[in-house]
Amino acid sequence: MSLVIRKSTVEILCAAKWIFRRDCRLLSTLPEKTEIVVDEKERIPGRKTRSYNPILENRHVYPEFLPDPNPNWRNSLREKMERADMLKRRSQIDIPEFYVGSILAVTISDPHAQGKTNRFVGICIERKGCGLRAEFTLRNVVDHQGIEVRYELYDPTIQSIQVLRLEKRLDDKLLYLRDALPEYCTFPLDMDPEILPEGTPVPINPVQVKLKPRPWLERWERQELKGVSNIEEHLKEKDRVRRELRKTPWEKYDLMKNYRKTIPAEEQSEIWNEVYNQLQQMRVSRKKMSRKRTVTTPKTQLA
Amino acid sequence: MKQRALSLSKTLLLSHNSKGLPAIRCLSTQEALERRHHLFVLEKKRQLEKVGRIEKIEVNYKGIPNDCTLVMNKDISTPYDCARHLGEWHMESSALALLDGSVHWDMHRPLTENCTLELQRFNIAEPQQVNKAFWRTCSLLLGACATVAFKDTVPVHLHSFPGPDIRSGSFIYDVDLPSLPDWKPTPQELHTLSAEYIQLTRKQLPIERLDVSMELALEMFVDNQHKAKQIPSIAKATGKVTLYKVDKYVDISKGPLISNTGQIGRVAVTSVHKLTGSSESDLKQLYRFQGVALPTGVILNHFAFTILTERAKKLNHARSPINPFSESMSAEESIAARA
Amino acid sequence: MNQADVSKLVSKLRIKVPPKHRKLSSPQGPEGRLNKLRKTVTGLIKYERIELNYRRADEARQYAERLISEAISHGDCHKPTMEIADYWLLEKQLVHKLFKVLVPRYENCNTAFTKMYKAPQAYYGRHIDKAVLELRGNPYPTLTNKQSNNRLLLQNVLLDAAKYDYRQAKYAEMAEKLGKTEEVKSGQSNEDRNKPSN
Repeated sequence: MSLVIRKSTVEILCAAKWIFRRDCRLLSTLPEKTEIVVDEKERIPGRKTRSYNPILENRHVYPEFLPDPNPNWRNSLREKMERADMLKRRSQIDIPEFYVGSILAVTISDPHAQGKTNRFVGICIERKGCGLRAEFTLRNVVDHQGIEVRYELYDPTIQSIQVLRLEKRLDDKLLYLRDALPEYCTFPLDMDPEILPEGTPVPINPVQVKLKPRPWLERWERQELKGVSNIEEHLKEKDRVRRELRKTPWEKYDLMKNYRKTIPAEEQSEIWNEVYNQLQQMRVSRKKMSRKRTVTTPKTQLA
Repeated sequence: MKQRALSLSKTLLLSHNSKGLPAIRCLSTQEALERRHHLFVLEKKRQLEKVGRIEKIEVNYKGIPNDCTLVMNKDISTPYDCARHLGEWHMESSALALLDGSVHWDMHRPLTENCTLELQRFNIAEPQQVNKAFWRTCSLLLGACATVAFKDTVPVHLHSFPGPDIRSGSFIYDVDLPSLPDWKPTPQELHTLSAEYIQLTRKQLPIERLDVSMELALEMFVDNQHKAKQIPSIAKATGKVTLYKVDKYVDISKGPLISNTGQIGRVAVTSVHKLTGSSESDLKQLYRFQGVALPTGVILNHFAFTILTERAKKLNHARSPINPFSESMSAEESIAARA
Repeated sequence: MNQADVSKLVSKLRIKVPPKHRKLSSPQGPEGRLNKLRKTVTGLIKYERIELNYRRADEARQYAERLISEAISHGDCHKPTMEIADYWLLEKQLVHKLFKVLVPRYENCNTAFTKMYKAPQAYYGRHIDKAVLELRGNPYPTLTNKQSNNRLLLQNVLLDAAKYDYRQAKYAEMAEKLGKTEEVKSGQSNEDRNKPSN
């Protein structure tokens, strides 16, 4: 509890409930169990595949290295050159591992800002695009005003990307935060980075947000969102009927539709074989650097 | 004198080359051909009339599209007629008929008794016999070409062609050209011969077969002393001589031959070599016409076909009828009988 | 530019996949389309060779390939794969066939699992492209009569003989060369022998 008190003194604007849950996770063993279960679920299909290749797990960490699956836009030479450029850019700045739901701080150079830099903190609500055009969107509420900034991942004006809290959420896209209560996406701009211990899997934050009453930007009720708790409260009978009508339960069986959305494993392993070594080297060298840094900076959080 | 004759023949050939194809059509042995053809038709008509009362036979067809039984006329219906019942594809592609799984039968030879029938194409699993029939047909047609290609002033006496040997790379016809003692064909002349051959194949003529008695055969080939000499030895076994007719050209062959000249696809008359006879044979020299051909529908690239034509240009070492190193007279007869 | 979906890992199909799916006209929309294809895929797995319209055959082929490759990569203990097989195979004994017969058959296959041929069209009537779709390794006789490899075909006999001739000529040439060098050598040795006698 001391942690909560300490955080509240620093005036974190996060939802009190969320912090409470998070605390529970730290103090009790119950949520950890859920994490373990999730882990097993992830592992089982991997183990069953005949040709399980650990290198393919990179696809979650660096999804932008995979090309667009639409064959009309494929061009192997361009893809290869883009990958080389991406690696060059990654050797210049540290682009850390992050997911939708992680909280990032991005510093870009801005000629009109004081000190010529602009730092923005927010939760990543979407990752899009592939290759050099990969982008991510950060959302935050500043002065009761929701703000979203879309950054290109390989934008040369980006000076640094810092992961303040590395975690995943229940959904692939958190666009519903736009219609959620503002406390769910309010983060202090001077938030401290939370460092995960070595070797732990990326935690999944099981928080369920509350939506504001309608009107909404999208029909969230049709999207089968897991991270929303009170969607049924705002629905009328008409909406429920239409949701039923609009359901597409056959889509998960549409093997070719799924196939056309993905890059097959054989092509992926080619790509990862091409870039994995360099990425691994960069990661190792960065880890050494960060270890030095953690030694030098006193950890106020753990004190 | 010899040189003069040579130059004369060369100028003649060159002149008709320059004039183009119509000039070649001055047939030297036109009357003989006509007469032979006339006799053949008469004999065929006579044999058909001899059949008399038409009897029925059952032919069990095996193969695609499905096995079936056809009721045909004895001594009149041919395998080709059966193919006509089955479809156009069978008519065009069947080269040879196989009766009772053992006897290879010409497509245009009347069936004589109840039998099972299989139609054989060039691309079946075991095409050896079809290939031989094809090669034999090619030789026979080469004779037909050689007959019509020369001017009237050049008498052409066909001699014979040996049995089919595909691995030798070329089919052969040995021809006696008494007025051309030392002739080497120019490429242009070979082209002309090939063109003649191709015209013959383009006409898509059926190849008809007829068994005649020795006397009639001698009567037909009275103008060709080589053939007349061969006929007694050929007819020694059965007393019959098998004749084949393509358009107006009639020749002796043991058979079987393929169904239609249209089944000969790519063809080239590649070379003419001179064979010199031994001292004891009465024939001093022969010309060996050589060519190479592929069935219709065989896809072979230009390069590969060029290799085949280049190879066919070399002298084919099949036994020469006047070769000094072979048993002179018996060899001649046996070769003629085998063809 | 979209990001590739990374939640699932699929193995690459060995057939050409068109960039877009075909809309098979159906009043029930995409569900009806899949229902049609389910019937076709079930028929294909059941009979191993079917003849149908080209468009539907081409679509169904992709789904059948995917189904078999999923079955191979995940096996029969994987629940989602089992659900997919259950959805696609309308006759449930075919699920057993898929995992117990087809998976062992294609486990070490380097080519596509199915074959498609263009079938002849009816001479009269509407012009509709037809196709024959079959599983590889089916028990029926082959449809194509491709025997261009048959050594006994006329063209192959001719080419073989030409090759043999060429080799013989080469061997003769080599033998001649060897003979010449030997002659030269022997000549030299003779000279050597002659020298001391002189």
